[in-house]
Amino acid sequence: MGPNRNISILLTVPALVVVALLFIYPLGFSLVGAFQDKAGAWTLGNFGRAWDLYRLDTAFTVVIVLVSCALIAFFSVAIGGYLTLGESRVAKAILNFVYRWPLFIPFIVAAQCMRTFIARNGMMNMTLVYFGILDLDQVQGFLDWRGIVFTFVWKQTPFVALMVAGAMAGLDRATIEAARNLGASRLRILVEIVVPQVSRTLAVGLVLSFVTMMSVLSVPLMLSGQSPSMLTVNMAWRINSVGDYGTANALGFVSYLMTGFAAWFYLRHGMRERAGR
Amino acid sequence: MSAALRWPLRAVLLGLAVFVIFGPLANLLIWSVAEAWFWPNKLPSQWGFRFWEVVFRPTGRAMESLWLSVWIALLTTAASLALSIPAGYALARGRLPWRPVVLLLFLMPQAFPSLPVYINIAQIFFAFDLNGTVPGVVLVHTVHGLVYSVWIATAAFAAIEPELEQAARNMGAGAPRTFFEVTLPLAAPGLVASAIFVFLESLDEFTGSFFVGAPEVRTLPLLLYNAAAGGNIQIASISALILLVPSVAFMLLVERFLKGEVMAKLGR
Amino acid sequence: MKRRTMLGAVAAGAMFAFAPGAHAQQVNLNVMTAGDQNMVDYITEYLGPMFEKANPGVKVRAVGTGPGDAGSQRIWERLEAQKKAGAAAVDVDVAVVHQKMAGMMVKDGLLAKYRGQVSTGSMATNDVTKNALGVNVDGYVIPMFNSQIAIAYNPDKVKTPPASYDDLVAFAAANPKRFGHNGIRGGMSGVGFVFGWLYAYAPQPAKLIDGPYDDATVASLTPALQKMKAFNGNVTITPGNAGTLDALNRGEIDMGPVWMDMFYSWQADGKLSPNLKLTLLKTGLPGQPMYYVVPEKAANAAVARKFVELATSPQVQAKGIVERFNWLPGIDANHVQQFLDKKVWDKLFKDVPPDMLKAMGKPMPQSDYFTKIQEQYEKIVLN
Repeated sequence: MGPNRNISILLTVPALVVVALLFIYPLGFSLVGAFQDKAGAWTLGNFGRAWDLYRLDTAFTVVIVLVSCALIAFFSVAIGGYLTLGESRVAKAILNFVYRWPLFIPFIVAAQCMRTFIARNGMMNMTLVYFGILDLDQVQGFLDWRGIVFTFVWKQTPFVALMVAGAMAGLDRATIEAARNLGASRLRILVEIVVPQVSRTLAVGLVLSFVTMMSVLSVPLMLSGQSPSMLTVNMAWRINSVGDYGTANALGFVSYLMTGFAAWFYLRHGMRERAGR
Repeated sequence: MSAALRWPLRAVLLGLAVFVIFGPLANLLIWSVAEAWFWPNKLPSQWGFRFWEVVFRPTGRAMESLWLSVWIALLTTAASLALSIPAGYALARGRLPWRPVVLLLFLMPQAFPSLPVYINIAQIFFAFDLNGTVPGVVLVHTVHGLVYSVWIATAAFAAIEPELEQAARNMGAGAPRTFFEVTLPLAAPGLVASAIFVFLESLDEFTGSFFVGAPEVRTLPLLLYNAAAGGNIQIASISALILLVPSVAFMLLVERFLKGEVMAKLGR
Repeated sequence: MKRRTMLGAVAAGAMFAFAPGAHAQQVNLNVMTAGDQNMVDYITEYLGPMFEKANPGVKVRAVGTGPGDAGSQRIWERLEAQKKAGAAAVDVDVAVVHQKMAGMMVKDGLLAKYRGQVSTGSMATNDVTKNALGVNVDGYVIPMFNSQIAIAYNPDKVKTPPASYDDLVAFAAANPKRFGHNGIRGGMSGVGFVFGWLYAYAPQPAKLIDGPYDDATVASLTPALQKMKAFNGNVTITPGNAGTLDALNRGEIDMGPVWMDMFYSWQADGKLSPNLKLTLLKTGLPGQPMYYVVPEKAANAAVARKFVELATSPQVQAKGIVERFNWLPGIDANHVQQFLDKKVWDKLFKDVPPDMLKAMGKPMPQSDYFTKIQEQYEKIVLN
């Protein structure tokens, strides 16, 4: 029992107008620009140049984002799982307090933290050396694609974990208790009973994270502007230093295809489930 | 696993989590008071607040930028909520044609790398004299924040049992009254959660602020980025710490609204 | 609902009026500067207050647009966007830009020919005042300073400093990852290092500097760039100009290309170990000036010219540019030296004596080559 079709449309229109005017319209300019040369004639040359110069970075962007997503999924399920199935009240309380913090740290601040934390002689390595875990000669810096992955996982895991933990908390405890009484281990309960039931929530969190990571400029720029790096860095470089909007727009087009694919995949999945309900 | 081993294992894992999460922040704190830190010293050889004084001196403009950033973030939050509450309600409850497409549309500003878009926006804004103004920056941030606010608002409204609204209607309340007296209060925690994300997103935003805001509107991320790019680690660290103040304050203020139950319904 | 939204909009509009930063009743002189943070510091901490004191009612607002040509590009973008939108006056009064973009701005007609209208204009007579990477900029620019890229090294680790690029290649092979540079995407010290590499290994290095442009010369650079790719396997790539200095300071590398002025400023500031030293390489490393320019339609053109006049006066060039910020002066040295202690002047040449600078300091390549080399680097070295 909600608003009818016309009122629904009316309620959505203001937000849509803002997005249309301030995003779709300028985006149109830039999409058209991907297929135009400097004089405005139609061309596929921008995509040719993008392929020539940035095919490695395109592949690395996919790898960086997918590896980050996989790690985020792993850690958020681990955190959510422990908060749901863990036995120690104290440990759960500590974890619950600790894990959310990076959620509130702006990306640009996170990037600044990491620049000094995971550098070769940064605090992380120095602490490991101090505890005798590493030798001073063995240390290596992570200010490359690994640092980008580290920062993304650090920053995005709490977001997904918050969603996943919420979904897990809402599950029916009876099945879990029944499985426990039958002697199933907690790990098995997590993998076989809990995770399948929160998979949609996990998927939404990952899609939002995927999209966020695809468009963050400050983290890859501040941690490693070198190859292999991410498409955002290449776009910024193309525009800022070379003034080449065509290739930048072509790269934008490529990264939009990637995110569009991820989002569409999810939404199709969601629609099928809705229809099947 | 024997019970005796559990606590040491828990302690190690929790300790590791604390180190990974707070280590980078502690590092930031140390750098902000390091006056000289050469390798191979594990800690600064000279401590002090010299760089704090540099940041806070009148020409440093850090405080002015901070208040401006917070002000812009608040306005952005207000604008996003004004747009996303009706839209989220319609998306959750209404009969909207092309609903998945509309949801996807709000995702776009997050999905498409914004840099080329901002440059085009800057050109459009010149015609309306919006460049270098607070409203211009707020508009750009609002578009960027809409994905969070619309998606989360939709989830928040979807989480409310329709029976509650139905009951109010049965008791003779009109649709608007039902909305403002039943639906909206029930959805409030979720809406506040969406506000948190929009606020933080705005506070963090750099690229759009530069193309649309500079030189008149100088937000703190702009100052921070310049300091970081120039290798002024101390100044960048201090700016970063200042930028954390509103984030953490906002978090402490509204964290209780950040319910996992609502977040779990995102995108449905 | 609709009325509510409208009321909200009105309320929001009223709130905007009280937003900070909306002061009136004074001249705001907008100075946009490319380059590292030290450029912004120079204006906000030194030049700005001095100018405000001498000109009551004027407020200098400095905005940094970021390091490297990217920073200059952003200023160009801003001017170009306002030109396209048909603005009667642009909101940048004074800009500080790199050579490549200065040439482009002159070609696009975005700048005022103001040097003749400024009394200090005649004190700058060196080549870069007239020629920016092959573009005639005579009259449109006054150099703010000149600077030079040099190789910084840690004498504790590098006993015999390299004299040539060949020495560097040998060092990197013997000490993997102990040499670091910032490539071409992270600021000009890395870009300049790559250009220096080509001056050493390209078949016709002089043509890159003096022109004319032809595609065959670009194609002839391929072997040198392939050599660079192999070399890069043995080095650390740092994030930016500051990143190289920082890596040196943190002991992560023992050697790397840096801007001389940043190097000395960081040492003076306690941000860089005082042990580190500088040297140049035999076939030369590039240097470049940054220019003060005044946009064609600057809203406060007269105040802007006064500002540049102060900034390029011999006293300011001596005390600000040389003594405080360790740059080489933008106007001719003979006007500046009289305002300085010999000790201060000599400090500039502590590691790199004037004759070495003269012999091994080169300009950047002409702008067409400049762009093409960057692209070829991305294509050959980064893929």
